[in-house]
Amino acid sequence: MTLGPFVNEPTLELRSAANRHALRDALVALDARLPLGVPALIGNDRGSAEGFQSCDPGTPDRQVAHAGVAAATAVNAAVEVAVAAAPTWAGLPAAERARILVRAAAILRERRLELAALEVRECAKPWPEADADVCEAIDFLEYYARGAIELEAGRPLLQAPGERNTLRYAARGVAAVISPWNFPLAIPAGMAAAALATGNAVVLKPAEQSPACGLALVEALRAAGVPNAALALLPGDGQTGEALARHPAIDTIAFTGSSAVGREIMRTALETSTSRLKRVIAEMGGKNCVVVDADADLDEAVPALLYSAFGYAGQKCSACSRILAHEAIAGELERRLRGALRTLALGQADDFATDVPPLIEAAAQARVRRYAALAETQGRIVARGPQAPTVGWFCEPLVAADLPLDSPILDEEIFGPLVTLEPVASVEAACAAIDALPFALTAGLFSRDPAMVAAVAARLPAGNLYVNRQITGAMVGRQPFGGNRLSGVGSKAGGPDYLLQFVEPRVLTENTMRHGLPLT
Amino acid sequence: MTKTGAGSPSAASAQLDGGIDERALQAEIDRIGREISSAEQPSAVRHPARAIDRRAMALASRDDELRIALFRLIDVTPACRTAEDLGRHLASFAGELEPSRGLAAALRLADTRAGRTVLGGAVAAAVRHTAHRFIAGETPHAAAGELGERWREGIAASVDLLGEATVSSDEADAYAARCAGTLDELAHLARAWPAQALLERDSLGALPRANLSVKVSSLTAMLRAQAPERGVADAATRLRPLLARARDLGAHLHIDMESLDALETTVELALELLEEPALADGPSAGLVVQAYLRDSPVLVERILTWAVRTRRRQPLTVRLVKGAYWDHEVAEAVQHGWRVPVFTDKAACDRNFEVLTRRLLDARPLVRVAIASHNLRSVAHAIAWNRLRGGRDDDLELQVLRGLGDELATTLARRGTRVRVYAPVGDLVAGMAYLVRRLLENTSNESFLLAQEQGVPLDRLLAAP
Repeated sequence: MTLGPFVNEPTLELRSAANRHALRDALVALDARLPLGVPALIGNDRGSAEGFQSCDPGTPDRQVAHAGVAAATAVNAAVEVAVAAAPTWAGLPAAERARILVRAAAILRERRLELAALEVRECAKPWPEADADVCEAIDFLEYYARGAIELEAGRPLLQAPGERNTLRYAARGVAAVISPWNFPLAIPAGMAAAALATGNAVVLKPAEQSPACGLALVEALRAAGVPNAALALLPGDGQTGEALARHPAIDTIAFTGSSAVGREIMRTALETSTSRLKRVIAEMGGKNCVVVDADADLDEAVPALLYSAFGYAGQKCSACSRILAHEAIAGELERRLRGALRTLALGQADDFATDVPPLIEAAAQARVRRYAALAETQGRIVARGPQAPTVGWFCEPLVAADLPLDSPILDEEIFGPLVTLEPVASVEAACAAIDALPFALTAGLFSRDPAMVAAVAARLPAGNLYVNRQITGAMVGRQPFGGNRLSGVGSKAGGPDYLLQFVEPRVLTENTMRHGLPLT
Repeated sequence: MTKTGAGSPSAASAQLDGGIDERALQAEIDRIGREISSAEQPSAVRHPARAIDRRAMALASRDDELRIALFRLIDVTPACRTAEDLGRHLASFAGELEPSRGLAAALRLADTRAGRTVLGGAVAAAVRHTAHRFIAGETPHAAAGELGERWREGIAASVDLLGEATVSSDEADAYAARCAGTLDELAHLARAWPAQALLERDSLGALPRANLSVKVSSLTAMLRAQAPERGVADAATRLRPLLARARDLGAHLHIDMESLDALETTVELALELLEEPALADGPSAGLVVQAYLRDSPVLVERILTWAVRTRRRQPLTVRLVKGAYWDHEVAEAVQHGWRVPVFTDKAACDRNFEVLTRRLLDARPLVRVAIASHNLRSVAHAIAWNRLRGGRDDDLELQVLRGLGDELATTLARRGTRVRVYAPVGDLVAGMAYLVRRLLENTSNESFLLAQEQGVPLDRLLAAP
């Protein structure tokens, strides 16, 4: 089988009423099946599906899934099974594994309406973003399948007479995949697909907020032909993840989540590297800034800023958290944002009219409210969205200004619908402020001067800089995604270098001299 | 004279709707097309400055890189606070071009502050000049003289208020207030205009003198492609009073069409409001069909079905256009992996334009029809079909854009055809998106006007697409 060139999975065209109806129907069908059961899946064993629940963030008394908690014994069992299965899986030709991943992609494609509905319920992802997340999961499977075939060929080396040098990439062994809830299908799919495509066995621990999405992914991969032993699902909380990351037989830890947890994983990974050096692929938080220069087109900037800051209630690692506006237009921008925020619709994720859904859980709502209260004390709120509904973990969208330079609001990741607006004397001053941050994930620039665009691109450390557009929504193969500094290890998911994190290079050098003759 | 070129029907000529022979239609199109063409004065004679414009446009359309740099420069012009700032942007764009373009001198000039100021001043003047070609005035008041003058020449107008994007309810309110004020002003102005039978009456009755085009995306900040009902509900609160005002003033209100993301909202809104009992007796109102949309025939049928059901006293005017958001629709579809919603083949698009022209003309008196095109073939086709079907000349309206169809309008008016010029009004900042769209269209390799300018033979221009 040869695979055609990679193309992104088309998102659903939601301006078509027929597509919207199809999604609504899928949601009705899903609701009738709730709550779903999510057991631990280890080899051919299924654990219990009782332990904790995931709930609809917009209607917290609606239970979406019941999941078992994988305790330390289950973690040990899963890793043992994976260790045993890894060599067989790694022994398959890359094309064979690719075929299986592409088949899994086809299963997700087949189930895409149902899966989007599941994201709407379990994570309060609004429809367009839920659908895009399913598409991104499909993209990761298709993209890494192709990448792994390419990688299997190795890379060319210099050759000299009498010797033959080859560079090949071998699977590292067992990968622990610890994934977040905010892209509940795409991110675990990406990390798991990269590991599987390159021949690693995988133990997946999905976020406790989205176990059913994790199960859907594992089901698709297993149904496509990934051996049960080579892919385990461990629902659970932070303790499950920690036990998994600490297990000495783990070779690779692929983690996406908060900076605090990511750094803790890196620390314990080294401590528990008793027989091998664990590799940690960590994609963590950001404090993403958008610079608006004096020549920006505010007609474009305002809607793009709204979407970047408040889309999915600001719960994307790429979301805009600070706006640094040239003082010549800062007042005008503030005025237009003030009016624009009032047009945002706060509502349930299943309503196509919703702009800002609820936050994922009560703790998130409390955290964002703390920051909002602090913003009001330390500075002032210059724009606010409509009042939040009382049921569901909603927070009203806010723009804060006049904060002291040492305010935590200016350098901590808030992960909610709160953005700051600061006037700056120049783009250079904005860049200096951004450069002083410990994070470097995404950044944005609104400018219509090519020389300015080039200067800012050269100046900023962000992993992804977006010019004259929203700063979220990276596409596989088009915008390889990931940050630098404390935001991540620079591994760039959905890019040509990502798979290298999951393999170890092995070089073979053979002396081909026989009786004084170079036999190559 | 030989028979028409490539597209001419072969010996066995097909029958079109209404038993009209394709060959007879082509002969009529040829005759009308030639008449119009020979009556059009070469623009260079009347407007020497315009000839220079056209040379610049022709140059830009031959060189994509230059064209893009030029449009990006025009786009940023109103945001530049000083001439020096604009000069700096010019140098920045020029720096992106291949150095072999004779821009080296300009770039050297941009090395000094004084040089940048000179350059920036020149660009600002050039952009103002270009803008004036397409924009009738900064305010309706400023455009009043021109509107009256054209009326006296036998040319009607539809005024369009250029505005910044609407991102808040306050901005939507402000736009609606401008529209209301403009309706008042146009109605007031029009009272002083002399009688022009052709412009004021068709076989269905009186036609308003005052005519305003409005945009739904300016009437609401809640336009969401995936939730049209939100935009409909919000825009209705502003469009409903405007329609009532137009009714009371005896003015026509035309609801423009924009990108596909706004289509469902626009159609829903217009058809819903015009069906309300309070608006059953008026005003005269209109919608737009964009022939470049593959699904445009479906929209036409939807409008006609609605018209059969509602039977408004003042039939809906349907303006048929090619569509001005082609590049946007293609790019958006490709970025998302969607089926491209517009025809990508110019001939297919032109054919659809003709099919819809015939469908709409044949649907009268359910609707009034306005054919908006600068394509000589499309215009001649509409006139020819109307005649062959026994329609009266005053039951067909032709529309052109200010700055692109001025000569055509004059010629058509002299021939006794009702023609209306779409006349945008607004300041330069607000007009920039409109201006860039018009320039893109005008320099596209598929532009009819460009082909005409470049001397493509009349036979080919008039051949069936």
